[in-house]
Amino acid sequence: MSLRDRAAIVGVGQLPFSKDIGRPEEVTALEASRLALEDAGLRPSDIDGMMKWSIQLTSENAIARSLGVPNLRFFGEVGYGGGGGCGVVGHAAAGIAAGMARCVLVYRSRNRGSGGRPWAGTSRERDNIAAETNETALFSPYGFVRPVDQVALFARRFLHERGYTSRHLGWIAAACRRHASNNPIAMMREPITVEDHQRSRMISDPLRLLDCCLETDGAAAVIVASAEMARDLRQKPAYIMGASQGMGPRNWTMNNYFKDPLLESPGAYAARDVWNMSGVKPQDVDVAQLYDAFTPLVLGSLEEYGFCNPGEAGGFVEDHGLELGGRLPTNTSGGSLSEAYVHGINLIIEATRQIRGTSLNQVPDARLSLVTSGNMVPTGALLLRGD
Amino acid sequence: MADDFVRRTGGADWVPYWAAARARELRFQRCRDCGRWRHPPGPMCPQCNSMQSEWAQASGRARLLSWVVCHPPVLPAWKDRVPYPVVLVECEEGVRTIGGLLGATAEDLRMDMPLVVDFAPSIDGDLVPQWRPG
Repeated sequence: MSLRDRAAIVGVGQLPFSKDIGRPEEVTALEASRLALEDAGLRPSDIDGMMKWSIQLTSENAIARSLGVPNLRFFGEVGYGGGGGCGVVGHAAAGIAAGMARCVLVYRSRNRGSGGRPWAGTSRERDNIAAETNETALFSPYGFVRPVDQVALFARRFLHERGYTSRHLGWIAAACRRHASNNPIAMMREPITVEDHQRSRMISDPLRLLDCCLETDGAAAVIVASAEMARDLRQKPAYIMGASQGMGPRNWTMNNYFKDPLLESPGAYAARDVWNMSGVKPQDVDVAQLYDAFTPLVLGSLEEYGFCNPGEAGGFVEDHGLELGGRLPTNTSGGSLSEAYVHGINLIIEATRQIRGTSLNQVPDARLSLVTSGNMVPTGALLLRGD
Repeated sequence: MADDFVRRTGGADWVPYWAAARARELRFQRCRDCGRWRHPPGPMCPQCNSMQSEWAQASGRARLLSWVVCHPPVLPAWKDRVPYPVVLVECEEGVRTIGGLLGATAEDLRMDMPLVVDFAPSIDGDLVPQWRPG
């Protein structure tokens, strides 16, 4: 038994992204949830399950009691921040396929734009970062704590072994920005070129400012319902044809340099399983949302999800392969690099819009839509289909 | 400075690693039952599941796997040191670790070049393992 085609995304809602949304995460999570219910044509009393990211501080019972949900019979969470998004939706689908829920609300609200960054000395998350954990112990005595450093250390070896350059990373940044340019809620809309990327300042050499995603205040929600329920709702269902998670051996969060092969990411495992469950081949996919907290992650996903062979991802992106009209239109609302960084829930929503035919950068007749989660951490993937 | 930088030992698993460095020694955890080296440390050998381990002295010879150079913005305690390099190395024993760079600049680095361990203070004054061309 698999959960293939047993559940669908039936409602989505998101608030305009901003640097300072001006109200608490609990309030924005509720607003986004209300939008997703309206989108689906559902009432709070239809909700019987909730799934969340572990780092989402607003708990299910807070959301449920404010919305007026009479009972949650299924709830849980998935860890690892940006690695968790596809798993959160995948678990919702699994609960539905197992008969433990019929209609599951997924939400993510995050005030990171106004919350500041620990390395700028401005963050309310500071104490979290400074917490003594086994996973950060090796790194803090060397001033090596930022996500950009962690990705850059992996990326330099990856670029070296594959023959990729910083300019290839620039093509990814430029493609995402092009897709954001007509998106009124994107944080960054001004088009950029590879030369703009090359001129942007170094943050963690080899990574530059334009290799990095955006610190964002944002809130979004997704409703997953059983396939039977989905058929009678307001929107065209985005059926969940495949859902997977993957961790790989001897995983260390973000600092994943201690396993072999060194350059293999958890995405390799999530890829294998999402293709197995769905029965789909990479070349059949019409549109993708590849997790892009930093540009090198996209090159890795192109290889590990089988869109090109190792060493060929540079040519793929240079050839405008990620852009609308290219081989694999990717991050079609601007992604984490240009739309907003909210641990990938915006990528799941854009993947759903592509199935509905309502994206601002619609791929004509898109039927198969892939989403991936962050591959520097335990990750996941979703394959959505239309009819 | 004490306010800006909290030394994170990582808990009991890490105490011998930092203690060895203070004595200018590079030691890694090694399984007492199957002899496999492991790092970062942990309570159980992933090869044989033994929980018996020792902290054995390493040769201190390694090769360079990767490096970054940190530019602003960085944690307040580090802002006077930018830009500073951090290297990822693979030691002769097969384990990987990181450190700062001594006796060279990032421009001198080449993939897979040999490095040797040395010891220099972290920001809190404690000696920690660092790496220099060797």
